[in-house]
Amino acid sequence: MTEIHPTPEALEQFLLGQLATPEMREIARHLLTGCQRCHEVTATLWEPTDREEELSLAEDVEAVREEPRDRYDEVLDRVFQKVLAAETVVAEQRAAGRKLFAELMQISAERRHLLLSNSQRFKSWMLCECLIEESLAAGFEEPRRAVEIAKLATLAADRLQPEDGPSVEALTGLRARAWAHLGNAYRILFDLASSEQAHAVAEALVEEGPVALLDRARVLVLLASLRLDQRRFPEALQLFDRGAYIYKKLGQWHLLGRTLIQKSLVCNETGDSDSEMTLLRRALDLIDPQAEPRVFLSARHQLIKALHEGGRSREAFALLFHTRPLYLKIGDRSSLLRLRWMEGQVAFGLQRSEQAEVAFREVREGFGELGLEYEAALASLDLAGVYIVQGRTADVRLVAEETLAIFQKHNRQQEAITALLVFRDAARLDQAGLALVREVSDFLKRARNNPELHFPPSS
Amino acid sequence: MSALDQPRVEDSVVILLRRLHPRLKALLAQYRIPHPDTEDLLQQALLALVYQHPNIQHPEAWLMGTLRNKCRLYWRERRRKLYETVDGALLEGLAGPQAPGQEETELRHDLANALERLPEHCRSLLSLRFSQGYEVPELAERLGYRPSSINKTTTRCIAALARYMVYLGPGGKKAEHD
Repeated sequence: MTEIHPTPEALEQFLLGQLATPEMREIARHLLTGCQRCHEVTATLWEPTDREEELSLAEDVEAVREEPRDRYDEVLDRVFQKVLAAETVVAEQRAAGRKLFAELMQISAERRHLLLSNSQRFKSWMLCECLIEESLAAGFEEPRRAVEIAKLATLAADRLQPEDGPSVEALTGLRARAWAHLGNAYRILFDLASSEQAHAVAEALVEEGPVALLDRARVLVLLASLRLDQRRFPEALQLFDRGAYIYKKLGQWHLLGRTLIQKSLVCNETGDSDSEMTLLRRALDLIDPQAEPRVFLSARHQLIKALHEGGRSREAFALLFHTRPLYLKIGDRSSLLRLRWMEGQVAFGLQRSEQAEVAFREVREGFGELGLEYEAALASLDLAGVYIVQGRTADVRLVAEETLAIFQKHNRQQEAITALLVFRDAARLDQAGLALVREVSDFLKRARNNPELHFPPSS
Repeated sequence: MSALDQPRVEDSVVILLRRLHPRLKALLAQYRIPHPDTEDLLQQALLALVYQHPNIQHPEAWLMGTLRNKCRLYWRERRRKLYETVDGALLEGLAGPQAPGQEETELRHDLANALERLPEHCRSLLSLRFSQGYEVPELAERLGYRPSSINKTTTRCIAALARYMVYLGPGGKKAEHD
């Protein structure tokens, strides 16, 4: 056994990796001998485990309050001063970023690219943040615009340097988010191949790191949505779980709530309605209806739908009754049509066919007026279901012909048209039953996100 | 200009920091982050908060969670260096081409004692690596690990050895993976 012991300071430096390689190795060899004396020093310097940390932080805070000021206080004071100065600057940069965004949106697409690639003025962190936010906001309403803006965000992010923002970690996170939002915008546009490519860049950035936890979670959750659309459900669940874990760790309860709503969609697809409802109820506990009424409503809507689809139409009806004021408060046409649609579906579940018929007619016409032919076709199929139950075969035929005609006029998705042709042909022969209506309806819902699906499904 | 563009005095980051001062200090002390390294860690977390403040709900929880993660990463990086040191020291001392001397014999003896405290699979893996000089691909083949997982398994076993050397010690319980 080596007789000479390293000093406590040297042992501490050893654990921090602050010694030269020969000294590090010498101490490693010494510790391998099982030296009790040195081990007593190093054991106290080992990183505390998470469990110990969680248990004792509250006690430590109390102890800290009693302690005289020390070097940690000096560091904290110094950093606080820097942050105070930075806060003002960043607020100004944020305002400037908004102005740059507005300016950018006024000019041609070609010039936008030119300015973002070359102009020093447009090399702005906050402009990039703004582009990411605007791409997300454009999302479902204007998916092509969302793609265009997200592309600009990637351009802006790739040009930035670490010194333009708080750290290397933040810059990598910003780039990863920009690419993930581009992937998301493509996903909404149903261009899954381009979405996959953009997400691959985001993933690579996250893997290479370092990336802040919140950015990592955002990227993971957006990728999970792609996996959901690709029907790669186990991967989607795993990614949603990883995102949810981080949001929970960072106390971002609203984002956790949103993630649980998205995760519930996977359960819906896999037919696990119990888990779906549990997740939605947990999400509803986490989302503030005052701060995020739309998100809250969408969770309630999904829960009503899950109850109805699970054969619990009475519970669905009761929850729908309590949710009606929120639909009315949000008040846009699309939300009101979705309320009416849900009312029709629940009424159908409760064998109130006449109420259901009126609701489905209104919904079909409403979506038709809005130019949302996909929704109109789905509402038509619901209406056909009512007629089938009532034995009104002539009306079934009429609805089948009308739906096909509308769909052929506005939509080029061949497999969806094939499904509606099958339904129309069956209706002509008075052979269209509820099972076929459900099959076609389910197919249309899935084919919308996956144009490569074939009807009838090969299984 | 929208309201979001204006600096919001009422939820200024600095007000938050004053309130969190004792908790931040307790966290840094608990993780035993050396003073010279504290400033960087704290500054990175706080600046990230300033940049993302409008998009963060519950900034207290965010800041504490982010700083805790940075402290963990800080130690992970140091531990990585420690594992490399342990690995390098043993490879240099045992796997060299020279004939065994007194020092090497002692080192082999110490290593054998330490390995006794590790899980069986780590014992086999590290014996082959240090005593018999197996390269990583050979270890995978000999022990039946997938080539894709052998690096991770080797690192975990070296980590278990380092943990024994530094934290658990000869009188401690059996070392396991992190």
